[in-house]
This record gives sequence, C-alpha cells and structure tokens, in this order.
Amino acid sequence: MKEVFVNMGQIRVLRQEGTLVTVGLGSCIGVALYDRYTKVGAMAHIFLGRSRNPAEASKLPGKYADTGIPALVDAALKAGAQKNRLEAKIAGGAHLFPNISAPESGVGHQNIAAVREQLAKARVPITGHATSGNHGRKMRLAIDSGQVTVTAIGQQPMEI
Amino acid sequence: MRDPKLDLLQELGNIGAGHAATALSQMLDGQKKLQLIVPEAKLIPFEAAANIMEGTEEEPVVGIYIHVSGDAHGHMAFILPLDSAMAAAELLTLDSTGELNEMALSALQEMGNIMITSYLNALSSMTDLTLTPSVPGVAVDMAGAVWQSILAGAQVAEQVTLIKTDFYTDDDPVGGHILFLPDEDDFERIARILGLGALG
Repeated sequence: MKEVFVNMGQIRVLRQEGTLVTVGLGSCIGVALYDRYTKVGAMAHIFLGRSRNPAEASKLPGKYADTGIPALVDAALKAGAQKNRLEAKIAGGAHLFPNISAPESGVGHQNIAAVREQLAKARVPITGHATSGNHGRKMRLAIDSGQVTVTAIGQQPMEI
Repeated sequence: MRDPKLDLLQELGNIGAGHAATALSQMLDGQKKLQLIVPEAKLIPFEAAANIMEGTEEEPVVGIYIHVSGDAHGHMAFILPLDSAMAAAELLTLDSTGELNEMALSALQEMGNIMITSYLNALSSMTDLTLTPSVPGVAVDMAGAVWQSILAGAQVAEQVTLIKTDFYTDDDPVGGHILFLPDEDDFERIARILGLGALG
C-alpha cells in the first residue's frame, strides 16, 4: 500500500487509500486532517508557530502554523473534503532538552499553542492529540479508516 | 567566488573538530584512534538541512545540545547512534552492563560537553571572540526528533550554514557527528572584522 512521507515543512494529501506518515517529530507538530465521508486525508509537519518573512513562508507554507494550517485546509478541500466534516489530530510539540530551557518557553510549547489557535481560527475541531512531554514521535494517518497512530521509542503505538 | 564567511567557518570547523577529536581521544585514554571526515562549511537550504538524517530518522541516538552565546551566537550538537553511545559509555565508565543508565548518560553528557567546549575554545582563541556554551542538554530519542528540535531551537529560516564533522574509530563502533550551526549575521560580521571580505 502506498506510503507517503511528509517531511518538515511539507503538506501532502491522499484520497481513498494509502498512509500519510511523518517521522522525527520533536518540537515540530504533525497535523492530520480527515474527512470521513470522502476519505480525504491531509498531513503537515509544522516546524515553528509564526512565519516572519512572507516571501519565505510562501515558498514553503507548511513550515509555519500561521501559513501552514490554512494551506493544509485548502489542500484538503481541493482534494474533495468538505469543510464542516474536517477533523484534526495533532502530535508532537515535545521538549527534548528540558535542562536547557523551561518547557513553557520552549519551541514545542509555542508550536502547540500556535497550531491550536490556527485550527480554531479555521473552525476545524481537534478530535485527538498526543502532544508535549519530552520524547519524539512518529505519526501515521491511514486514509481508508482515518485512524491516526502515534509511536515513540520504547512505547506501544497509540491510537489518538 | 566563494563566500569569505564560509571560508572562515570552514577553517574554524577544521580546527575546532580537530580539538574536539583530541579531547575525545584523551577521554578514551588514547585507546581509540579517531578518524575525522573533514567538514565542509556549506550554506544549505532549509529542506536540505531538514533531511540530513534521511534514512536514519527513526534510529535511536544520543544527542547532546548546547547553545552558544557571547560575541557570536550559534548552536552545537554532538549526535551518536545509540550503539555507538553505549560503546563510548562503556569505555568511559568501564561499566559493561550494556544499558544506558544514569551514570552512562551523565558520562556521555560530559563527553559531549568536553568535545563541544574544546571546539569552541579553539574558535575563541583563533578569533579572539568570547563564545560561551550553555549547559549541555541531553536526549535519547529518534534521530529525526533530536535533529529537528535543534533546528527549531536555531529558528532556521530559508537557509542555514552547517558544519558537520563525522568521526569514527578504526576498530570500534564509536562514531557520530559534531554539528555546528553558526548565526549567519554574527559570522558575516566576524569575517569582515578579520578582513576576510577583502580576499574574496
């Protein structure tokens, strides 16, 4: 079955079947959007919350939450999803080096807040999450079922 | 024409990595001969920097991370694959329980700290800059997550200068990468102060 990897800053969409996968989520956030009716799934791997340079962000909108979430929603709609059926699941936003800075001032924490803010703005409900903590994650979205699985080293895969 | 800043960083990288390798070799009691793959200072796009762990993103690693402040800012990391970290910890602590316990982790953190500060000291004495390392952060996690968190800590925008040194021992599975992400503007300024701009 088709597996599509979503690298940092990318946005990818699949319909009907296959799996969207993003690996190496540390402070980054994996965002999975899904429309159960049309079986359209879209995934982003968000690096930071806010873009500072519009020209840069327009080349890789998926890198930042403020440009990435609207672009992700657009991509899902273009592939046939319907706005009011979209739901979001998010994973990541960890703080891997807790002795360097407090978690509240870390990038992971800021990323979670920015992604939540942008999803609220886009009126897409968050129906599952595996965020914060101090370990990295991998996220998979199975397109035929909408099932989102999060894995971490030394832990059982978890459905969110 | 090559950017004088990159030439400077290349030179600093070579010398810094040499000092780091000597420090590591001493810590390992001279038992292991270290080989270095000489770094190339490169200005690379974000997407390329994001993918330098490609193929090993899910492999467990030990990452030691320090940020640098003072006259110039930057981010430094020392990343070892887990089996390599275990082998190094065993040599450092003479404990062969084969697990990455607290003592092993603290020995690795200290090893990373010494390597990074040796690298920085070499840079400081060559340029007369004050470069102050933070306390070292240590994480045991997927390579991709460790590297990604370091890039995010550095708030990398469109492109980044990366100086990556790979090292390994001849006979033993101790190896890893030393990564240096210098702040663009700071080193641009330093290259100018050192008069390197005129060489272009």
